[in-house]
Amino acid sequence: MYREFVTVLRREYLKWVRVPIWVASAFVVPVLYLVLFGQAFDLDRLFPAGASGSVYVSRALLGAPDYFSYFAVGMVAFVTLTASLYSGTGVLFDKQLGIHQRIVATPAPRSALFAGTLAFRAFSAAWPAFLAFGVALAFTGVPGLVGLSVRPSVSPLGVGEILLAEALLALMFTALFLSFGYVLDSNEAYFGITTLLNLPILFTSNALFPEATMPAWLQSVTAYNPASLAVNVMRENLFATRGYPYPPEVYLLGLLGWAAALVALALYLSARSLRVR
Amino acid sequence: MSDAIGTEALGKTYPGGVEAVADVTLSVRPGEIYGFLGPNGAGKTTTISMLTTLLRPTHGAAWVEGIDVTLRPEEVRRRIGLVFQRSTADETLTGRENLEVAAGLNGLSPRESRPRIREVLSRLDLTDAADRKASTYSGGMLRRLEIAAGIVHDPSILFLDEPTLGLDPQGRAGFWEYIRDLRGNHGVTIFLTTHYLEEADRLCDRLSILDHGKVLATGTPSALKETLARDAVVVRTSDPSRDLRPVLERLPGVLAVEAVPGDGATRVEVVRAESFVPVVVRACDAAGIEIASVATRKPSLDEVFLSMTGREYREESEGNHREFAAAFGSGRHGGR
Ligand SMILES: Nc1ncnc2c1ncn2[C@@H]1O[C@H](COP(=O)(O)OP(=O)(O)OP(=O)(O)O)[C@@H](O)[C@H]1O
Ligand SMILES: [Mg+2]
Repeated sequence: MYREFVTVLRREYLKWVRVPIWVASAFVVPVLYLVLFGQAFDLDRLFPAGASGSVYVSRALLGAPDYFSYFAVGMVAFVTLTASLYSGTGVLFDKQLGIHQRIVATPAPRSALFAGTLAFRAFSAAWPAFLAFGVALAFTGVPGLVGLSVRPSVSPLGVGEILLAEALLALMFTALFLSFGYVLDSNEAYFGITTLLNLPILFTSNALFPEATMPAWLQSVTAYNPASLAVNVMRENLFATRGYPYPPEVYLLGLLGWAAALVALALYLSARSLRVR
Repeated sequence: MSDAIGTEALGKTYPGGVEAVADVTLSVRPGEIYGFLGPNGAGKTTTISMLTTLLRPTHGAAWVEGIDVTLRPEEVRRRIGLVFQRSTADETLTGRENLEVAAGLNGLSPRESRPRIREVLSRLDLTDAADRKASTYSGGMLRRLEIAAGIVHDPSILFLDEPTLGLDPQGRAGFWEYIRDLRGNHGVTIFLTTHYLEEADRLCDRLSILDHGKVLATGTPSALKETLARDAVVVRTSDPSRDLRPVLERLPGVLAVEAVPGDGATRVEVVRAESFVPVVVRACDAAGIEIASVATRKPSLDEVFLSMTGREYREESEGNHREFAAAFGSGRHGGR
């Protein structure tokens, strides 16, 4: 079980490093978002200092010191989503190239095959998010750039919750897109579906915009969006927050529910794709 | 059940109604090299897929080392190695990494697999290319890598689906030697499908001829040739327009006589070609016919195949095929 798991991890890793564009884009995409979108778009600057609009913005940000800080945390969720979009391609290509057949014919436990793929893909979706977070923090030290400023006293429990939220988010997005890899046979269908899902997932979350700015119907969707849940856990712990209806643990629980459901779905579909007909 | 591989009225009808395998009953003894010979679409790959747990039979049953392939597939998978007809190499990985993955998925530790991989790479002449990406391999190298991946975990039963497809004569000879060694020194049972009659003839202990999903005949290559095809003597005279048939038909032991069209030669089917040569020579002398040449032909699997299916064997190596067609002519199998 362990050997097969490690074999799958290693294969995924080797395939990943052999495609430099994936490695590069994992580094570059988060930075580009933070530099281009984050720096240019600052809700605060739409209003002169002290204007009533500015007060409203600060209230909508639920305690984040400025829009960039608010946005940078949302970016963590978006980067995770982007980095997980291609999680299912490995499985898809394996099926097309006949590698899947070779794997089916081995005695490797099916759970090890699934766990190895899920673990590597979730990891490769999570770390660009940490990178984005680090870059946003580092911007505070760069003259001319706005940076992410967080509460000086984030508790160890808070840090733990943030890491767990990111892990669960990566796991659930990965499981979602892996599921499409297991079910679909054509590249066109896969890329069509991921492109279709990408932006709606982002825009029905509070990653980029405060819920207060949204119409009520959208707010009710946003509340359950896993990206919102993860981002709530992070923002509540990172900023001197006010106005969140629940403590971070509640959002974490919601996220756990999403992750459990989607991992279970992916596991089922993986077993189905390995079944002999 | 002491057979290494056994099937009982095995069959597969694909969804959509294609009956790829209709009725295959066979038994392969431990340590045997068993061949499955048949033209394109005969059902060879489908049969191998059922035996290796990749496809579920729609009727009949199959066992590998006594284990039912549909009831306990995991246990079957633990005992077998499989070489696919189509390359399954991961081209972004090197040859060695491909084998490491294959070994790891079969439960070998790196410590166990390292020397095995080295040995298999060297046996298949891939050592120099081992650390290059498989995407840079030639067709023959990919084929050999595929064989290596099926063998690397030292299975007790090895299935090979057209293993030598696309290998040059040297590669093929090296492969045969390796297969004989696996059987001889390691007691591996080998089940292989092939298009190549020569391969079936020279490599296999026993073989089955498959066509349209049915086994038409099973036996050792020589037994098949003896029971199903005849020796022949081909006689050429210095006067091609001379019809030899009246002279030859009356001779003792003659089974059939036919003119080889467009060639001026006459083909005589007999029980034993060697002892018939002096008879022909004497008869022609007596009739005042001058012989230019006499050639004997022993039956080949081509002929076996032909007499079983009523069709010529479509083989990639056109050489054999043409020679065979010329020798046989279209008298008996006209219009093909
Ligand atoms: N998945 C499938 N669905 C429907 N029909 C199939 C499928 N796979 C194979 N067949 C059909 O089953 C028959 C046997 O195919 P199979 O691949 O077993 O032949 P084969 O003897 O291996 O041929 P070849 O020498 O060309 O490899 C063919 O008529 C083929 O078209
Ligand atoms: Mg085939």
